[in-house]
Amino acid sequence: MEELIEKLKQQLINELNLEEITPADIDTDAPLFGDGLGLDSIDALEIILILEHNYGIKIQNPSEGKEIFYSIRTLADYIQANQK
Amino acid sequence: MGNNLNIHIPADNIISSLGFTTQQNIDAIYAYRSGVMLDESKAIADQPIQAAKICSETLGKYINHFNLVAYTKAEQLIILSVNELLQQYDVDLSATDSAFIISTTKGNIDVLQNKTHPIPESAFLWKMAEKISNYYSLENRISVVSNACISGISALIAAKRLLQAGIYRNIVVVGFDVLSHFITSGFISFKSVSSNICRPYDKKRDGLNLGEACGSVLLTTDYCPNTAILYGGAITNDANHISGPSKTGDGLHYAIQGALEDAGLTAKDMGYVNLHGTATVYNDEMEAKAIHWSQLQNAKVNSLKPYIGHTLGASGIVESILSVHQLKAGIVFGTLGYENNGVSQSLNVSSRHQEIAIRTCVKTGSGFGGCNAAIVLSIENKTKKTLNKIPITISSIKNCMVENSTIIVNNNLVFKTDTIDFPSFIRNAYKNLGESNMKFYKMDDLAKLGYIAAAYLLKDELKIEPLNIGIILSNSAASLDTDRKYQQQIDKDGDAAGSPSVFVYTLPNVATGEICIHHKIQGENTFFIEKNYSPEKLKTYAQLAMQDSGISYCICGWCEFINGIYKAEFELLKTK
Repeated sequence: MEELIEKLKQQLINELNLEEITPADIDTDAPLFGDGLGLDSIDALEIILILEHNYGIKIQNPSEGKEIFYSIRTLADYIQANQK
Repeated sequence: MGNNLNIHIPADNIISSLGFTTQQNIDAIYAYRSGVMLDESKAIADQPIQAAKICSETLGKYINHFNLVAYTKAEQLIILSVNELLQQYDVDLSATDSAFIISTTKGNIDVLQNKTHPIPESAFLWKMAEKISNYYSLENRISVVSNACISGISALIAAKRLLQAGIYRNIVVVGFDVLSHFITSGFISFKSVSSNICRPYDKKRDGLNLGEACGSVLLTTDYCPNTAILYGGAITNDANHISGPSKTGDGLHYAIQGALEDAGLTAKDMGYVNLHGTATVYNDEMEAKAIHWSQLQNAKVNSLKPYIGHTLGASGIVESILSVHQLKAGIVFGTLGYENNGVSQSLNVSSRHQEIAIRTCVKTGSGFGGCNAAIVLSIENKTKKTLNKIPITISSIKNCMVENSTIIVNNNLVFKTDTIDFPSFIRNAYKNLGESNMKFYKMDDLAKLGYIAAAYLLKDELKIEPLNIGIILSNSAASLDTDRKYQQQIDKDGDAAGSPSVFVYTLPNVATGEICIHHKIQGENTFFIEKNYSPEKLKTYAQLAMQDSGISYCICGWCEFINGIYKAEFELLKTK
């Protein structure tokens, strides 16, 4: 699990162009959207692509993503439960 | 006084999935026929997609007939459409009082497929304009507007201003876009595409259909009895988000209000409103709010997207033409597929065609970059109103130049890095502002460049009221530097590899949108494409736009990024 969390942080930094941010700066339990990292709806679409391309998980409706994308931990939990 | 000139629309043509003349399109809509069909050819998308395509067989016949083999599909459509237009109303386009405006979001973007190094010259919009200019002997009296999905309405408003100022007597305005993997994959990556025929404002709406089309109109200040008149128009910006529609609908409301004021009319004078109505959840909701803000909740509203799809840069022209013909017939077309209200406000929308008594309407549009536009069209000869728009004079009160790793404000060097590479220069220029917004790093290079130029230009300026300032920019490469990046993604790994965060920047006016968000600029915003920067021409237009929309300040300039080479040259204009 810890390994997945670290991997996710790095993937988010790379795919969402989070310049000036290191994995250590991302709090595993803090909300991803809103203030912290300043993520928005376009980033949510990018996270959907990360799940599709790297973990084989398809989310059709972005609104489904709300709880899944809450934090790095909820995201990792979801991947672990749904990865094929 | 030029402003009191009426702008007549004596001729029009539509080429779309529903036919090659306006009449063919109208006949199909009367019969509730949709041009949206399942396309499994893989020519425009890797996956099957519901789309409204122009019939290639018929197009092929016309191409041979008019001997247009040497032109791209988009250019062929423009020429076919305008040739038909000129048969209805003969205008000498080679005369110096005639001009031509093209509106498009992506032009010949299909030529980029598997050919991104170097970028083919035909992908540049100025090159397309040059070919059209040569065909009609326009001697470069041609402009290109690329303002996302409001491009068509933006172009009509630009034409209106140039005509009212007496600079030209006749202007042909053409709007088009053709479908390709580039466009379809981008909208699919945004999860915006429906797998059914779209259902604007309905509870079950789940996205849009893409369509291709070309529409052209002739606008003239010559008196033409029994023709539609373009009474007014306005463009605004949400200054909220580059892709998500405003949650309040304020930007669109301001555009409608501005168009009504420009026309000297009120909401009560409107027979109906032809909305953008893409059938995405957020767009339609935003529009419903704007309609209420604008006190148009009793007017009939419709969306034509279920018939012809979202035709992007063509939509403003094509749907304005269809609006004019609805006014002439006294009919509002039904919004195909509408059953139950799926927006938070009640809207007067129907799936069936309905009669209307008032022959005046508003046509609206909204697009990426946060832009909104509205125009007022009528076939009633309204009592001549007295517009109190007196000619204004403007002065350039500040300027900012960004190039070669330097930033110069009012001829003073204010920032410089020794490194010549753009990424480190722009990052340091940003840090030097003392800002720490993560969003800056996500922008593409064109948007970063514009953001920095505007930030240094407006640094130390007093806060300007959002609706009192606009921004008018131009460049030669549009967003081609990022377009190439996006095309390479899908060339390499297929449509599904298209990244939404790259796709969103494949419009030049998204750079404008970022500037608007940063400085809360909600007035006029237009992006022109021209081969070389002609500051005087752009400033002349900015002056007309400032006069017409009543703003006191306007950022005006050049913002170009292509192949690592960049230059921004901004001025802050102020009315005297």
